[in-house]
Parts: sequence; structure tokens; C-alpha cells
Amino acid sequence: MSVEKDYYTLLRVPRNATTEQIRRAFREAAHRLHPDKNVQLGETELFLEVSKAYETLIDDDQRAAYDEELAAAAIAFAAASPFHCTILNSRNHLLKISEPQVHYILLDVFPSEDLPEIRPPINLSIVIDRSTSMRGKRMDQVRAAVLAILQDLHLDDTASITAFSDRAEVIVSPDQAKIIATARARLSLLQAGGGTEIAQGLTTGLDEIHQTFSKEGVNHLILLTDGRTYGDEDLCLELADQAAAAGITINCVGIGSDWSDRLLDEIASRTGGHVTFLNTPQAVSDLLHSIYDSLSQIVASKLQIDGALGQQVDLRSAYRLLPEPMPLGDSFPMTLGHLPRQGSIRLLLELVIHPLSGAEEITLAHLHLSGDLLGADSETKTLPIDVSLPISSETDPKPPPKEISSALNMLALYKIQEKARHEVELGQSAQAARRLENLATQLLAAGERDLAKAALHEAVQLSRSRRFSTEGEKTLKYGTRALLLPSPASKS
Amino acid sequence: MIECPSCNHREFVGTLFCGECGTRLVHASPIPTMSIAPDKISKEANATKPSPPAGPDLSSGALLELRVVSSGDVISLLGRDNFTLGRSIEGQAVIPDVDLAKYDAYDQGISRMHAELRVEQDGVFVMDLDSANGTIVNGKRIKGDSGSVIHHGDIIQLGRLRLQIISQRTKGSR
Repeated sequence: MSVEKDYYTLLRVPRNATTEQIRRAFREAAHRLHPDKNVQLGETELFLEVSKAYETLIDDDQRAAYDEELAAAAIAFAAASPFHCTILNSRNHLLKISEPQVHYILLDVFPSEDLPEIRPPINLSIVIDRSTSMRGKRMDQVRAAVLAILQDLHLDDTASITAFSDRAEVIVSPDQAKIIATARARLSLLQAGGGTEIAQGLTTGLDEIHQTFSKEGVNHLILLTDGRTYGDEDLCLELADQAAAAGITINCVGIGSDWSDRLLDEIASRTGGHVTFLNTPQAVSDLLHSIYDSLSQIVASKLQIDGALGQQVDLRSAYRLLPEPMPLGDSFPMTLGHLPRQGSIRLLLELVIHPLSGAEEITLAHLHLSGDLLGADSETKTLPIDVSLPISSETDPKPPPKEISSALNMLALYKIQEKARHEVELGQSAQAARRLENLATQLLAAGERDLAKAALHEAVQLSRSRRFSTEGEKTLKYGTRALLLPSPASKS
Repeated sequence: MIECPSCNHREFVGTLFCGECGTRLVHASPIPTMSIAPDKISKEANATKPSPPAGPDLSSGALLELRVVSSGDVISLLGRDNFTLGRSIEGQAVIPDVDLAKYDAYDQGISRMHAELRVEQDGVFVMDLDSANGTIVNGKRIKGDSGSVIHHGDIIQLGRLRLQIISQRTKGSR
């Protein structure tokens, strides 16, 4: 039997759902999936599965037997899983009160220790913005950085370089990338000129990655851009979703300050990647190398977390803190990207729990993690993750774990920055400026002098021109986001 | 709901940091409550209490207390592991965790964000936050970003205001 596709998940109800809830969930699913009206391929099969789930769960005896079977399977499963997971709660129990309460969960996903130590082959596609604004130093630096990566490729790695303006072109094909002299000659032809249409670049870059798709390896795309794309944002996101479905992760690198941080964040977030802000192009070489090095440390890709929250539970926000900090959407499934051998993927979930009636314990979430081990059989491995907490009328006297409070402390700073930007968009620039002054004070207290200075600078800028400088908004956003990275001491 | 002591924004129970101003909301207190507020500062009961180096008992739950030398007031530091010391002024968005405004802070030369106390595994540290008049520990001005270790009974001087550390966790105290 399959744990990840259990009947509860299928019906999207929690494990302790009442008969009435199950009935309602089935009615809703049937409405959506009924053979008379469905159009998408596979929905008829899904409908049959959902019906089977409903028949089992609606009958008390059958449900009890199924629960037992499920529990046994889950235990066997967790033991055999190549992943394991630790959970840290902000409180050891919830309060029995008649108002909503907030609870935080820190979730770490590790690879099992007995995985073989193999360096996975890397299938890399680098997509470069060649628009006019890249002319000069930026393009020179990027060209040199890319060439350096090609020189470092291992025998079983593949790479391609795509450049785009209003249209895209493969500059160095995977075959040419293997011969450095050819690659160098091809790269020297790369000149800046034209507009910025990111979707063009992504389409071609992804085509290249698919042609050399590595089933045992890491498939990764790096997008380097310094400009805004117009009109093709939706297509970009669609491409990102397709990439995520294939297990390809996209890292976005924004050079200078005139790119759209929201779009790049969304593209990267949907694929489990992350975004780096490069103020000057000098750092591009180090950045590409560190990305390339981290790819050789990957043990699994296509990590994803899915499942359902408990009945009275809502997800207010979700952030990935490790390996790179990144805000995640507030709904499941969440795409987490690659899992490194060392360290973990760490998530911080903020839950709102609505008033609890009577119960002694609450199921906060019933999740399962899935991912593909590199170099192993292509079967997707999963791990069930259940989070439940006792409920008590006493407050928990213990302070929250340090990892959680320090992460939230930094998250508070990141959120102040988000709020200030939101306020500027609403035209409340005076309020936003005050907020930034507050942010500066707190950054100073946290020892972040440069960021504090940047925040004060933006506060002045706001009172003068009523808007952020493009550079300042990115410095603050990515600067405070970087603070979310736990200090090395607390990584273990 | 709990209320942020700094900006009066209301948050759900269990929230650790104010969503409006980022101030930490103390967790270890009974249900709807507030963070360390200036009026938490309690008067030392009377003179029969043994004076610090001998070690008065810490109020339950507090890791650390500060005794204001001039007045004998004791400020309990509760529920977290770092505290900013300073003074609040009217209309300021952020107030320090330990607000010394009551003690003539302005005249004593205390900056708005003057110093920070940090409780770590290997002791209690004090760090000057670039204050105008500096921070002096046992007569010595502290420098640098790293913070200086302080022990039970040590005197921290912010501007002219002298505070004595009362701590259970540092060596030599019981």
C-alpha cells in the first residue's frame, strides 16, 4: 500500500476527520472529478480512487482496519526512507483558550547517513541576459565567469550557455562546452544588444537542459539578468512550473538594480531555487562557483512537501531558511529543490490555530515529504511527517527554542522591510520612512551596521521622493533575507 | 490577544515578535499579557535584603537582574537571552527592552540604544551599541563589537548611571 497517496490525503481531510467531514469532502471531490464533467486526462482514475477512499473511510470498521494498516506502513516506511526529519515546536503544548493562537514549527529534512558518497553528474544550463544594459563590464565579467565554470566541468557533467534579448540563442551547446577553445571562441561572439524577454531565454535554456537531461544527476538552470521583462511574466511562471515538475531547479541572479525582484523570486521559489542580488558584476564569478560547488554536494532533487493541515489550523507563512533563505508560498505542495548531503533543508512554518474545543491533542499537520535520490532507481522516495501537540490550560513556562526565536527575530526584520514596501505602494511613504528608521535601529542592535545605514538612507530617500531607490529596495530585501540564514553554530 | 508593549499592536497568543514593529513579545508569561514594560521594574523590598555580591535570590524565572545602584531598584530581565538597554522618548517607535528613562536617563547621558546584554552558554556579555557616552564595566571602558564578559556583582556604567549585575549563572555565585 502506498503511504503518500493515502485515503485521507486523497480526500484532503485530516486523519481525525469526522464522518460528516469525510462525507462533505467526498461530495466536493465528486463534484470536481465526476466522469460526466471532467476533461483532464487521469481524472476518471482519480475519481475511482477517491470513491474507494470514501467507501473505506465512511465505514467505521473498515476505517479502523485501514488506520492500523496505515500506521504500520508509516513506521516501516520511515525506517526505510532515505530522508529523515526533525521537528522543533515553539511551544510544547497549545493553550486551551477561546481565541486564535499562533504556533511556529521548525522542520529540518536530512538525507540518511548511509547514502553512498557519489558526486552526482551536473547538468547545467546558464541563461544570460544580453540586453543592451549588459554592455561593457557586466558582460565581460559574466563571460569570464561562465568560461571559468566550463573549464571546471567534470567528465560526466554537461553544460550549455544560452543568451537572450528579444529572442534567445544557444551560444555554447553541450558539445561545444566540452572543448574549451571552442567555448571560448563562441563566448567571445556574445555581444550585448536588444531588449529583455526572460521567457525567451528560459524556453531555450530549458530545452537545452532537457536534451541532456540527467536522470542520475542534478539538473539546474542559472538565470542571469539585469533588466525587466515586459508582458511575458505569466509565461515565465508557467515555464518555472514545468521546470519544477521535471525536477529542474532555477537560480536567479539579478545584476545591478533594475530587475524585477518579485518575478525572479516567484520563478525561483516555484522551482525550489533562490535569488541572489549582485550589486556589482565582480562577484558573479564567485557566485557561479559556489552554486556549481553546491550542486556537486546534492544527494536528492525534486524535494517536495505536501499534505494537509489540521482542521482548525491555517498556514500563515512559510519560509525556507536552509540551504538558502527563501519565502515559500502559503499553500501545499511546496517545492523545496535540491537536498544537500551536508546540512539540511530547514523550513519555518507559522501556523494559526483557531479555538480548540475539548480535545486533549491536536493534529497540526499531516504532511509527507517526497524526493528523488540521485544515482538510485528513479522511484520517488517519501517520508510521512505528522505534527501534533497536546493542549493544556497552563502556559508553557519554557522559552521557545533558540533556533526558533532567533529565526523569528530576523524574520521580523525582513517583514518590516516588506511592510514598508507595501506602504510605499499604497502611497503611505511617511509611515514607511518611520518603519525604516525603526528597522535601522533594530539592525544596528543586531550588529548589521551596513544594512542599518542602507535602511536610514532609504528612509531619507522616501521622505524626499516618496519612493524607494531601486538599489535600496533590493539591498534591504536581500540583505534582511540573508539574515534568515542560521548562524553555523545552530545548523546541526 | 496580546499587546505589543512598544506599539500597542495586537497579536494572537503565541506570537513571538510583533508584526508591526518587530519587538519581541515575551513568551513565558501568563496568557494575555505584555512584554517587559518599564513598570515591571520592582522596588527592592527593603534594606534587610543582603546586598548583591552576597547574592539576593533572583525572582523566580529571571536569569538576570540589574540593580540600579543609586536607587536600589531591581530590574528583572525575563524570558529571553538578549536585552537592549537605553531610554525611550516620546514618539519613538522602538523602545529598548530595558527602559531606563525613569532614572533620569537623559541627564545621566544614556543613549536611546545604549548597550546590549546577552546571555550565552559561556556567560553574560555586555556590548556597547555605539552610544554617545560609552559603557564602562568595573571602571574600564569596553570597546569593540564582540562584547565583554560580565559576572555577578559587576558594575556596568551607562553614561553616569551605575547598574550592578545580579546573576545566578555566572561563576562564583550561588
